[in-house]
Amino acid sequence: MSSASPVPSGRTTPLRGRPWLDGAALQRARLAVVPRVRVRASRFPFVTLVSLILLAGVVGLLCFNTSMQQAAFTESRLSQQATDLAARQQTLEMELEELRAPQHLAAQAQKQGLVIATTVAMLDVETGKVRGQAAPATADATPPLRPRVRKPVFR
Amino acid sequence: MAGNQRTVRQPRRGTRRGSPHVRLRIGFMLIAIVLSVFGARLVQLQGIDPYSYAAAARAANLVDIDLPAERGDILDRNGEPLADSVEGLMIVADPALTRKHAPELAKFLSNRLGIDYANALRQLRGDPDSRYEYVARKIPATVASEAVDEARELGYKGLSTERDPIRAYPGGDVAANLVGFLGTDESLGGLERSFDTYLAGKDGKATYVEGSGNRIPLGESTTVEPVDGKTLTTTLDRDLQSYAQRVIAEAVDRSNGESGVVVVQDTQTGELLALADYPTFDANKPGEAPKADRGSRALSDVYEPGSVQKVLTLAALIDAGKVTSRTRLTVPNTLHRQDRVIHDWFDHPTKRWTLAGVVAQSSNIGTVIAADSFAAGQLRDYLTKFGLGRTTDIGLRGESAGILPSPTQWNAQIEDRIDFGQSLSVNAVQMTTAVNAVANGGVRVSPSIVKGSATTAAGVAVGTDHTTRERVVSAEAAQQMMEMMERVPDPETGTAPRAQVPGYRVAGKTGTAQRANSECGCYDGSFTVSFAGFAPADAPRFTVYALVQNPRNGGGGGSLAGPVFAKVMSFALRRYGVPPTGTQPSRLPVEWGRGRG
Repeated sequence: MSSASPVPSGRTTPLRGRPWLDGAALQRARLAVVPRVRVRASRFPFVTLVSLILLAGVVGLLCFNTSMQQAAFTESRLSQQATDLAARQQTLEMELEELRAPQHLAAQAQKQGLVIATTVAMLDVETGKVRGQAAPATADATPPLRPRVRKPVFR
Repeated sequence: MAGNQRTVRQPRRGTRRGSPHVRLRIGFMLIAIVLSVFGARLVQLQGIDPYSYAAAARAANLVDIDLPAERGDILDRNGEPLADSVEGLMIVADPALTRKHAPELAKFLSNRLGIDYANALRQLRGDPDSRYEYVARKIPATVASEAVDEARELGYKGLSTERDPIRAYPGGDVAANLVGFLGTDESLGGLERSFDTYLAGKDGKATYVEGSGNRIPLGESTTVEPVDGKTLTTTLDRDLQSYAQRVIAEAVDRSNGESGVVVVQDTQTGELLALADYPTFDANKPGEAPKADRGSRALSDVYEPGSVQKVLTLAALIDAGKVTSRTRLTVPNTLHRQDRVIHDWFDHPTKRWTLAGVVAQSSNIGTVIAADSFAAGQLRDYLTKFGLGRTTDIGLRGESAGILPSPTQWNAQIEDRIDFGQSLSVNAVQMTTAVNAVANGGVRVSPSIVKGSATTAAGVAVGTDHTTRERVVSAEAAQQMMEMMERVPDPETGTAPRAQVPGYRVAGKTGTAQRANSECGCYDGSFTVSFAGFAPADAPRFTVYALVQNPRNGGGGGSLAGPVFAKVMSFALRRYGVPPTGTQPSRLPVEWGRGRG
C-alpha cells in the first residue's frame, strides 16, 4: 500500500533522506483498529437439530426393532405354514407311492381279471416283420398276490 | 449451593459444620465406600460365581435344538423309491410346564398317537432340571401337529414339535431283504446298514433365544445346517423284483420248500436287476418276521450247487482244449472211484453220449470221465477265475464266500465230486455271475447292485463304476457251452422242458444237489434244486438263476426251478423289449454211433 501511495514531488523534503519521518506522511499512514463485530449466532437451531436427530434416531431404532419383531412373528407363522404344507405334500406323496407300488397295481389288475402274458410278438418297424408268435394268455405265469401264510419258524 | 449460600449468610452456623475441606473429605470417603461395595459385588459376580447368572439367563430363554438331517432315499434303477424319507415330527415336552398335568396329557397322547402311556408319562415328568424331553418320535407330521394343537386347546402347555424324518418303504416286502430297515435311530440291516454313513448325512444344531414361542431377532443365535444324506440308486428293477418274489414264493410254497432265491443279472453289465428272496418280510414291520428271514439268503446262504456246476467244469474243459461239444463218451450206469461209487440221477444202460448229451441228460458219470483229462490244479484255477470261493463284494454285509477247497485239501476224490457240483459251496450271486461269464462270451463281469458309485460304511467304494471284466474261457468255448446248454430245455433231448421261454432260444442247466447238514456233517437227504440259464441263447441279454432249498414234493431242478426261471426270464425279456432272435436253435447231436436218436 505504501508503495502504491503517491508521493507528492513538491513536498519532498530532503530531511535526512527519510520521507517516513514527515509528519504529514505519518499522519496519513496511521492505522486505526477496526472494532471487531461479534455476531452471536443463536444456539437454538443447532440444539434443535441435534435433538431432532437424536429423537429421530431413537424413534427410528424403536420402529426398526418393532418391525423386526413383527417380521419375526411373520417368519414363524410362514415357516410353520411351510412346514405344514410340506408335511401335507409328503403325506400325499406317500399315499401316491403306496398306490403306485407293484403289489397294489397287481392286485388291482388281478381284480379286473387281468393275467400276465406268457408269449409275445414284436413288430419290427424297419422290416415290417412280426417276430415271435402271440398266443392268448393263460393264468399260468400269474403268481398269487400274497404268498400263503407261513407259520414263522423261529430258530 | 444453597448450603454454601446459607453458610455465607450465616457464618456462625457454618463453623459448626466444619470447613469445606473436611466436608469434601467426608464426601469422598462416602463415595469411596459406595464404590468399594460396588467393586466387591463386581468381584462376587464376575470372579467368584460367574456362571450361575449366565446359566439362569440361558435356562430362561435360550433354546438349543438338534436339526436332524434327512436320510437319503434308496431308489431302483428307474428312480422308483424302495426306501423313502417322509416328513415326520417328534413331540417334545418341556417338563417344567407339563409336569403338573402329566397323567392327563400322557393319556391324551397315548390315545391319539398310539404311544406307550408309561413311557410318555415318564418323559412328561422329566428330570427336575430338564426343559426338553422326547415324548414321541417319528410321528407323521400331520398327525403330530394336530395332536399338539388339540392339547393346546385343551389347556395343556409345554408341548412342541420338531422335525424328525420317518423312513417309509412304499414297496413293503419288495426288495426288503436287500434294502433292510431302520430302527428308531439306527439302521439294522441290508443296504440301510452297509451304506449307513452314505445315506445318513450329518445332523445340524441350532441355538437361539426365544420369547413366547418366537425366535427373538438380534438375540444370540447359532445354526449349523444339517447336511442331508445322499441318494443310493440301485440296479434293481422294482417291478421285476416284485414279480420274481411272487414267482419264487409260489414255487417254494407249492413244493413246501424251506426257502428260495431268484437272481436276474444283466449279461453285459453285470447289474443285478432282481435278487428275490423268500421267505421275506415287510420292511415297514420288520419285528413281525423272524430274524433269519430279514437278511438276503442269496448272499448269506451257501450250498452245494449241484449240476449247474457242470457248466463251469465243461466250459473250462473245452477252453483247456481237452474236449469239444461233440466229444464221444461211453457212460456206464455206475462209476467206481477210489472211495465211493458215482451214480447218475437215473439208472441207465451204458450210454453213448456226446458231451452235449452228457449236459442235456445231466450225467455225473459222463462229466467225471470227461473231466479226468484236466491237469492237476487246472480246474481249481478256472473255478477261482469264475469267482468261486471269494465274496462278490457288491456292498451288502453278511455275504458268505462259500468254500472252494484249498490246493492242499484238493485231491482226486474231491475233484471228481466238484466236477458235478458237490464238495464245494457257493452263494447264489456267485453262481449267477459264474454262469453269466459263459453267457457273456467267456468274460466274467463282476456283479453290482449299486448304480454309479457309493461308499459303504466300511469305506469301500462299490457300484457299476467299479465293474471289472476278466476273461475266464475263450469265446469259442463259451459258444460251444451255450450250444450244449441249449439242449437242456429241449423237450426231445433235455431234462428241463419246462424251462423253455416261448419264442426265444434258451440255454440253461438244471441242478439237483444233496444238501450238506452242518449238524451231522453229512448229506441229510434233502436237496437244493436249481436252474441257471440265459436268453436269448445266441445274443444273451439276461442270466437268471432260480433255486429252491429243500423242496418236499420230490421236484427236481427241471420241474421245480425250471418254470420259475422261464416265468421270470419271459417277464424280463418282455419288459425290456428284447426281440426273439429268430435263429434256429442248436441241433448238436446228443448221442453217437448205432441207435442214436
